[in-house]
Amino acid sequence: MPGGRAEMWNLLLDPAVLEKCIPGCEKLESTGPDQYRADLAVGVAAIKGKYSGLMTITNKRPPEAFQLQVSGQGAPGWVKAVMNFELAAQGQETVLHYQIDAQVGGLIASVGQRMLGGVAKMLLGEMFKGLRAQAEALER
Amino acid sequence: MAASAKSGKWVGSPMPRVEDRRLLTGTGVFIDDMNPVPNIHHVAVVRSPHAHARILGIDFARALEVPGVLGVVTGADFKALMKPLGVGIENPPPYYSVAVDKARYMGEPVALVVARDRYTAEDAAELVAVDYEPLPAVVCPEQAAQPEAPILHESLGTNVVLRRVMKYGNAEKAFAEADLVVSDRFVFPKYGSTPMETFGVIAQWNQVTGEYTIWANFHGPFSMHPVMAAALGVPGNKLRVITPKDIGGGFGIKTSIFPSMVMVAVVARKLGVPVKWTEDRREHLLSSSSGTDRVSYCQLAFKQDGTLTGWRQRWYDNVGGYIRAPEPACSFRTHGNLIGPYKVQDVELDANVVCTNRSLTGPNRGYGNQELYFPVERLMDIAAEKLGLDPAEIRRRNLIEPHQMPYTTPTGGVYDAGDYPTTLQRALESFGYEELKRERESAQQQGRLFGIGIALAVDPSVSNMGYVTVAYPPEYRAQPSYKAKGAANETVQIQVDPLGKVNVLLPSCPQGQGHETVAAQIVADELGIHPREISVNSEMDTGTRFWSITAGSYSSRFASVTSSAICGAARVIRDKVVAIAARAMDASPDQIELAGGEVRVRNSDKKMKFHHVTGLAHWNQSALPDGMSPGLNATFTFAFERALPPNEQDQVQSSQTYGFLAEVVAVELDPQTMKLKFRKWVSAHDAGNLLNPMLAEGQVIGSIAHGIGGAMYEEMAYDENGQCLTGTLADYLIPTAMEIPDIQIEHVNTPSPWTMLGSKGAGEASTETAPIVIANAVADALRPAGVTVRELPVTPSRVWHWVQAARSGG
Repeated sequence: MPGGRAEMWNLLLDPAVLEKCIPGCEKLESTGPDQYRADLAVGVAAIKGKYSGLMTITNKRPPEAFQLQVSGQGAPGWVKAVMNFELAAQGQETVLHYQIDAQVGGLIASVGQRMLGGVAKMLLGEMFKGLRAQAEALER
Repeated sequence: MAASAKSGKWVGSPMPRVEDRRLLTGTGVFIDDMNPVPNIHHVAVVRSPHAHARILGIDFARALEVPGVLGVVTGADFKALMKPLGVGIENPPPYYSVAVDKARYMGEPVALVVARDRYTAEDAAELVAVDYEPLPAVVCPEQAAQPEAPILHESLGTNVVLRRVMKYGNAEKAFAEADLVVSDRFVFPKYGSTPMETFGVIAQWNQVTGEYTIWANFHGPFSMHPVMAAALGVPGNKLRVITPKDIGGGFGIKTSIFPSMVMVAVVARKLGVPVKWTEDRREHLLSSSSGTDRVSYCQLAFKQDGTLTGWRQRWYDNVGGYIRAPEPACSFRTHGNLIGPYKVQDVELDANVVCTNRSLTGPNRGYGNQELYFPVERLMDIAAEKLGLDPAEIRRRNLIEPHQMPYTTPTGGVYDAGDYPTTLQRALESFGYEELKRERESAQQQGRLFGIGIALAVDPSVSNMGYVTVAYPPEYRAQPSYKAKGAANETVQIQVDPLGKVNVLLPSCPQGQGHETVAAQIVADELGIHPREISVNSEMDTGTRFWSITAGSYSSRFASVTSSAICGAARVIRDKVVAIAARAMDASPDQIELAGGEVRVRNSDKKMKFHHVTGLAHWNQSALPDGMSPGLNATFTFAFERALPPNEQDQVQSSQTYGFLAEVVAVELDPQTMKLKFRKWVSAHDAGNLLNPMLAEGQVIGSIAHGIGGAMYEEMAYDENGQCLTGTLADYLIPTAMEIPDIQIEHVNTPSPWTMLGSKGAGEASTETAPIVIANAVADALRPAGVTVRELPVTPSRVWHWVQAARSGG
């Protein structure tokens, strides 16, 4: 990411930025400190659907690490994910490490499991592309 | 097509199927084609996305707002309008057609949305919001049996819904005195049948008469009829079950439609309209039914010469979220043939039936037999290797011999007939066993993975409905209030109409087996007329047809019991025709013969057309012998006398006839990819007299294809959270014609003394051995790599991992 850790930290935890960058995010509203309600529209191959979910930010160690816990439910099934992010300084830039443990159930699990790996990578790719674009806009 | 040139009989000839013309021209009538009453509404089912979850609430207000939606029915309605579905064990956990408080497997029905059409119902179903509290899940039956496992049914406090320990002879002594004991743990997978036609139900409630009518592609056993009537809270004669003329495949799976029949009936009653539900493919894969997966610990005792002296199995049958009738039948359908084709008398069984967060199980072609024989036939090979015997030889030394027939097994089975050694010998000769062993030797010298497998089975047909009561301990069955069960019979009706054409009414609900064809063959022979003079009506209707508790198609019963009932009914008609003709032609009845559409007096030129004789029965009662009633119809029930309840020693004649088969297969694995290629496949059967060899051949090939599916492709896979990962046919792979090798079929025909035509079931036989013979052949091929086979399916990736693990010393 083009920018220092503190700057990136603020960017990553800014709900307005997240709303823009999380693929399929239609709405992200704060329900308390570090707690959000999200409406998402995501498709896995032919299985398109809307999910409503909760997002909680925990284990904050600014500016180096935080954890996102996400759970969502919708007609195509449910998703539960724990995402650990680490920000490492590298010169003027920040390297973002992430580790995600996601569980899915319902239609997406029984119909989409062959595609899930690829779709997950694609969605993450989109998200980080969006975040980088936001960061670059900030740097300009 | 003419009758067999050799015998002059239709039975035994490869007569083409009379069903094919309508099926191939698209004029068959299947459940989804039927709209038997006006104003049918359609239902979409909301299913649990969780394997185990408490249902905290269901909000369907938005669904009701969709134009065209009539209503939504949920678990609370079911609790009010039905009783739990009965099942034959002590203290069964309550099982309703729809989840009441908890969902216990992924895909369990939670709510039903009814609308004017399916499209609207499906859209509205997406608007039903169910509030779940997910709970920990368990999918392995052995783990689920542990005390720390998540409990599915709190009222039971355990997931082990049944345990029966049964001992016959003195296995303890046999094992103590054995020269060799082999044992291992085996896992048989969960797979289904994948009929082309899924489940379908139409139900109507008549609030004036208090009668339910249900149309469904159910194929029996009709012992489920009283189960459904009791669940719906109506007398038996207020539940009319009708099946369509054509059912698009069943293979046992459609027995398990009965809870869905009750489900749709309750919806029809609640909303006051007739309702139709046609299951989609995903629903079928997630929640219809499958065979029972089993973890077994098997132990066999041998003498140095290869004599099998002791047999022990402890198994855990995984029946899924609820135990649904006829389970625990997987554990007990095979009870009489527990020892298979071997003479062992000292036997111990520890059968455990366990609920886990998987979909429910039930009859699936071969039901119980492949699970039973898999560990035994694997261990026969392992014992042969340790004793320095050929796998064919160790089996041969233990086979029951023809002169011992009828053979009583320690568990109460009585095998009717069969020549097991000749059948095995025929298989080996046809296979070219010695030659292929040489081929294996040279292949192995070149480092190729080439293996030969043998698997034998005794294939039971015609279940005694009393076998499943062996699930109750003898003390329970000894109580005065206990009602014993034991029956295996079929009732067939035949009527000859005023123009001399014959109608046969079958209660067998065929699903493509060709019952109409074989019934016509049998009746044609008995009445001396051409099969085209005979109409066979196989739509079942419990309101207008005579039927028995065991009616239907399951446990390979047609060729044993239904065929005998057809033959018996035809002989009643024949006897009456003979009596009328004898009077008309002034001859003695023993001089009369029926042939070529005529009724003739032997050694004379006196004869009458068949339809002239039968016409007298309808048109002119003065021409009938004294005391004979007019008309020409027959109802005949054929019953097996040994179909008795289990005795105090837990012995039961669980099936009524028993075929035998030997499967011998050679395979080669690609050393890089572990892809399996068949080199040769021989399947030799002794299923008594064949009624129609062409149909028998189709059954053998079909059952091998099904077994290949179970051994190599099909597996209802679940992750550790109980999520079913095989919800499409792109994930749940079934073999196609391209994956089925050329199969050489051999028959040894030892007639059954207990059926009217000497025939017996054959349609499940190879499903019981095909998965095992592949396992044995793959194990043989992998022996040089230090790998054995303890579980199925043997997919290339799984085999590759075994080989890698063996290489790294794991």
